[in-house]
Amino acid sequence: MGFIKNFGKANSIVLFICIILLLLEFAGDRHGETDLEELLFFPAIFGFVSCIIIFKVGVALRSIFMRDEDYYDK
Amino acid sequence: MISSMPPGLIMFLGSFLIPLFPHFFRQIYMILLIVISAFSLTSGHGTHLIINTMGIDFIIFHSDNLSFPFAVVFHIAAFLTIIYGIHNRDWRENVAITSYAGAAIAALHAGDLFTLFVWWEATALTSVFLILGGKSLRSYRSAIRYIIIQVGSGMLLLSGAIILFHTNNEALFQNFSIETTPGLLIFLAFGIKAAFPFLNGWLQDSYPEASEVGTVALSAFTTKLAIYALARSFAGVEILILIGALMTFFPIFFAVIENDLRRVLTYSLNNQLGFMVVAVGIGSELAINGAVAHAFAHILYKGLLFMSMGAVLYRVGTCKASELGGLFKHMPITAICSIVGAISISAFPLFSGFVAKSLIMSSLGYEGLTFIYFMLLFASAGVLHHSGIKIPFFAFFAHESGLKPKEAPLNMIIAMIISALLCIFIGIFPSLFYQILPYEVNYQPYDFSHVLSQLQLLTFAAFAFICLWHFKIYPPELNSTVLNSDWFYRKMIPGVLKPVIFGIQNLNNNLTNFMLIIFNNFRKFTNNIMFNNKVFDRETGFDTLIVVQLFGLILFILMFIHFV
Repeated sequence: MGFIKNFGKANSIVLFICIILLLLEFAGDRHGETDLEELLFFPAIFGFVSCIIIFKVGVALRSIFMRDEDYYDK
Repeated sequence: MISSMPPGLIMFLGSFLIPLFPHFFRQIYMILLIVISAFSLTSGHGTHLIINTMGIDFIIFHSDNLSFPFAVVFHIAAFLTIIYGIHNRDWRENVAITSYAGAAIAALHAGDLFTLFVWWEATALTSVFLILGGKSLRSYRSAIRYIIIQVGSGMLLLSGAIILFHTNNEALFQNFSIETTPGLLIFLAFGIKAAFPFLNGWLQDSYPEASEVGTVALSAFTTKLAIYALARSFAGVEILILIGALMTFFPIFFAVIENDLRRVLTYSLNNQLGFMVVAVGIGSELAINGAVAHAFAHILYKGLLFMSMGAVLYRVGTCKASELGGLFKHMPITAICSIVGAISISAFPLFSGFVAKSLIMSSLGYEGLTFIYFMLLFASAGVLHHSGIKIPFFAFFAHESGLKPKEAPLNMIIAMIISALLCIFIGIFPSLFYQILPYEVNYQPYDFSHVLSQLQLLTFAAFAFICLWHFKIYPPELNSTVLNSDWFYRKMIPGVLKPVIFGIQNLNNNLTNFMLIIFNNFRKFTNNIMFNNKVFDRETGFDTLIVVQLFGLILFILMFIHFV
């Protein structure tokens, strides 16, 4: 209960769903369009890592592409 | 009689009578125009109207299994936009929306490039009034840039059509090769409207500057017309696979940085167009079905997302993530509709995005395009990040902004609910949806493996965002401008040209001053000779003096040329 309180109810539900989805991997035959996708938990790992990469690259790009709000009006 | 009239034409022509109606009857009139136009779709496939003028066959009304699904969804989008904008009492925007939708629908039914050109430019000229509808200096400037680029696209199309006509004595709207000059010109014309990489600046520049209703209309027609045109003329052109993959890839990073949520949606629009362009590039029956299905579904869920953000803009006056948050309590219906749009675009099973995008992903798998497949899979996680989470989260949840707006007006809610229901309906009944596609579909999106893979991908991507937010790694949204490809013509080219122009101006001024000094000194010199020394011993008029000076100057130049 302490974990749910700290992590938040909605966040904990998402975590719970994630665990269920991982367990479902063993309930049937999951296959993909490519061989690589057939690795265990591949979509889950790919989704998680992709989101982190997008965030990291996005934040890094702030210093290059971000300007003041009135940049074009100056 | 009505059924042989090209769809969209009645909307385009009828829109000019809109100002004559009072507000309430105007809404009924516009819906009536859409219904009459839609009735023309019952004519069936084939060529229904050709007009021969100046020795050119203008194929005004040609319908087939590719134009039909686009025509259907364009009519639905026009209808939903009218409903969404009922509260808007500005008749000019009503005229612009109806004529713009009409022109886009008519363009779908063009059978030759000259007819296409007319409607291509008509969509540009009508839609620019929607950007002007933003009623600010920024929207005015953006509208000017928009119309220059859109008309430029039309000029490329016309150039291609003329060269083609000169060579073949006809300019049918059909397959072209990009290895020929007219083919390349037409490809570029379509590429501008489809927002290819580095040609996309106008999209993020202009769409968010329109009014809340205008942006909904803009999101539906121009870019999807370009996708239709690419599918008709360049299906199977391999370079499109790479172009489309880049389109899916780069906008996701810009969408992460962008603060204006309507502009985030334009990056997302660009990314979604990339999926369609990849599918057109593959060119197989499954892929073309995927491109059309994705365009159809996209118009609905992207329209829904723009509607929800438009409702926020209408009630709050801003769409900046840094100034929004916690609106769920005050605008719950708008928030739920936005979430439905977000889930649909993220391609969760049971929603429209899933049944449409699956066709494209599977066609990539069948063709063995593994690298592109993973690029698009990566982009799918990006879509979830910026459209699936960022849009609803920063507007309706995140932190408490202190804003307490009313729920959106009833007409907006009705339009959003219809759109949301359509997104769900398509997701639940894909076999019905697939019947409208150009080719027969033998595809089942709902199998255990496919559903589980998609759910794992999206749920874990969402979990990653949750972790970033919960552990305060995700940085706050900032008021800012994000540089895009429009920077080249808004900053770089003026930055380079300004010193050159100033330099030329300075040189011109200096030369003028120098010539004036020479001229004045020469005049003083001749004055001195003529008047003070009395060479001619009589008064000489100033005009005569000028003539003598010019004569002297010419003599001097002739002597100079002769001896040098």
